[in-house]
Amino acid sequence: MNMKKLILILAAFALAFPLIGAKLQVVTTYPYIAGLTEQVGGDRVDVRALAGGQWDPHTIMAKPSFIAKLRRADLLIINGAQLEIGWLPPLLNQASNPKVNVGARGLLDLSRSVKMLDVPDNVSRAHGDIHPDGNPHYYLDPHNMLPLAEAIAAKLSELDGTGVQAYRKNLADFRVQWNAKLEEWDRRLADLKGAMVIEYHQNYDYLLRRYGIELLGTIELLPGIPPTSRHIQELEAKIDNASVRFILQDVYNPDEASRHIATKHHIRLIKLPHDIGAVREADGLFSLFEEIIRRLTHD
Amino acid sequence: MKIKFLPSILLFGALAVAVPLTGGEGTGNPFAQAKFVPDISLILDSSFVIRDLEDPWFSDLFLPGFSHAGPGVRALELDEANVGKGFNLNYAELSLASVVDPYFDLFAVFHLSPEGFEIEEAYFSTRRLPAGLQIKGGKFLSQFGRINGQHSHYWDFGSPPLVQSAFFGGGGLAELGLRLSWVAPLNIFLQFAVEILQGHNEMSFGHQGFDAGGISIATVDGPGLVVATVKSSFDLGNLTVLAGISSASGKSRWPADLENDNGASAFAGTAAVFGADITFKYLFDSIRYLSLQTEVMGRTSRGDRYGLEVVNGWSVCEQRSRQEGFYSQAVARLNKRLRFGARLDLIWKNDLSFAGMTQALPKNLMRYTAMGEWNPTEFSRLRLQYTYDRSRYEESGGIWRQRPVHELTLQVNITIGAHGAHAF
Repeated sequence: MNMKKLILILAAFALAFPLIGAKLQVVTTYPYIAGLTEQVGGDRVDVRALAGGQWDPHTIMAKPSFIAKLRRADLLIINGAQLEIGWLPPLLNQASNPKVNVGARGLLDLSRSVKMLDVPDNVSRAHGDIHPDGNPHYYLDPHNMLPLAEAIAAKLSELDGTGVQAYRKNLADFRVQWNAKLEEWDRRLADLKGAMVIEYHQNYDYLLRRYGIELLGTIELLPGIPPTSRHIQELEAKIDNASVRFILQDVYNPDEASRHIATKHHIRLIKLPHDIGAVREADGLFSLFEEIIRRLTHD
Repeated sequence: MKIKFLPSILLFGALAVAVPLTGGEGTGNPFAQAKFVPDISLILDSSFVIRDLEDPWFSDLFLPGFSHAGPGVRALELDEANVGKGFNLNYAELSLASVVDPYFDLFAVFHLSPEGFEIEEAYFSTRRLPAGLQIKGGKFLSQFGRINGQHSHYWDFGSPPLVQSAFFGGGGLAELGLRLSWVAPLNIFLQFAVEILQGHNEMSFGHQGFDAGGISIATVDGPGLVVATVKSSFDLGNLTVLAGISSASGKSRWPADLENDNGASAFAGTAAVFGADITFKYLFDSIRYLSLQTEVMGRTSRGDRYGLEVVNGWSVCEQRSRQEGFYSQAVARLNKRLRFGARLDLIWKNDLSFAGMTQALPKNLMRYTAMGEWNPTEFSRLRLQYTYDRSRYEESGGIWRQRPVHELTLQVNITIGAHGAHAF
């Protein structure tokens, strides 16, 4: 092997190898967790999200490149409540990283930090793709971000003891900023109390219940199961006896049925982001909720 | 590894006892272990087959050149599923999986079929080795190539690719042994793995010795097969590329009942199978995708051929073979429920020589497959598949003739219980 070739190969390896410094390597399943971790971790952590915000969080494709990311993680933060069950377990097994495997200190399940809604009494797949631990979309209630941030700060402090002061300060700063926003968002959404809406999937239940918005029904037949024409007819019959303000549609499910109902019954159809990156405007944690509230109040 | 009824009865008996015992939580049983029950799932695979050839004729067809016991591999060895016309119960697949302790995971898959009970996989894997290393041990599907490591219910078609079944049989390369894998600490996925296996696969390796007119060929004891793989994957926007190269090489024994099977030959030597695979999967959105997948495989074998002929009596000569082929498939998912796919199979090289004399074997063995799927949910699937198979031959009066087969299969695949998610 001549010298030139050797140098080329070494250069290729140097580029491919990440620069692992003192920073804590954090991998999160979804972008909103990465956004939150950046708020709390600041420049002491390197954060990467596996899933893109434009994808259906239930059915993320288990790309082998995720194994490479999990392989080098010091901490893995997941949404939990079985939202990742369809894609993460085989990746964790293949990455075989003792730091973040199930049961390890470096695996943080955020669903343990908030109160879960709609925990089913009995579980059957005859009811569709339901989650035995309750509705997993708890993070779309902005009030839940603070307990999540606290859980992340506690875990970062546990794994990186020298950063405790920094994490505490970052958390305090975040709390001040977020509380100011919450005050504003609560005020802007107060008018929607008592309004009736339809969702495609029960993505926004936590948000709706926080602000006293009522849910008439879902476009999809059952969680994860596309609508049938009979189900749409039944939903339309319910619409006739109610005053529905909005239809809430996520960015990843087909919107034909929602558009059909919206046009026929003159109901406003709102496409809501469900995570950072779902729509162009939602490019960070603050702007994700800012955009959700802007679209709901159509300011 | 097919054992008749007794183990199945024991297994079901054990489950029947285990299930009521696990209900003890609410009754305040201080020793209740309900939460430790492993993930249990059952997958039913059943089909209805329409074919333009009666069953006895179909099972007499063979793939020329993949011969050991007789003129070729019988159709029945190539196919594990959808064998007979009309209704088929291919299998009920029972799988159990759980974390064992902080150090190991355990995973087992049993195939229960009218033919008996089969341990398809039963292995442990480590969960705490440092530096990206993992060890797997027991009986498992080799990670050779792309399709071999996947369970049949995860395949995109109802039948395995032709090269896969020609080189490894309908059940694939599932062997006893150990696997060591290492994922490199890079930004792209790069994995190296070595498998030390017993080498019982009858299609390419095999271990059983035999007698040939006073010469006794010993059975291969202990591990006789080594598989090595390198796999890499990266993403370009919404496109994911996965590529790999694999090799399997080991000792070969293709025994035959030479005294009673007229015209049969046996083989003892070595065989090596090489593979290269590449998959492109492009996501249009969360639901729709297009995936293109190709695997090229080749096999070389070298050793001694033993035969018993009417005129010359016992004979031994050098046998060499070199066979190569590929499959290429495209699968598109149009919405949550519909998927369509097409596959082309071809074995283009089929060289066999006895004592340096090239045998005239048919080349360019081809097969065309198309399928459409309707998936009510991710737990149930109906698949309609059409196959036009030009790879199989029939023999009459010592003459080999191609026998094209048209086949239409309606396959049902249903899953219940806690079934783990699938890898890419």
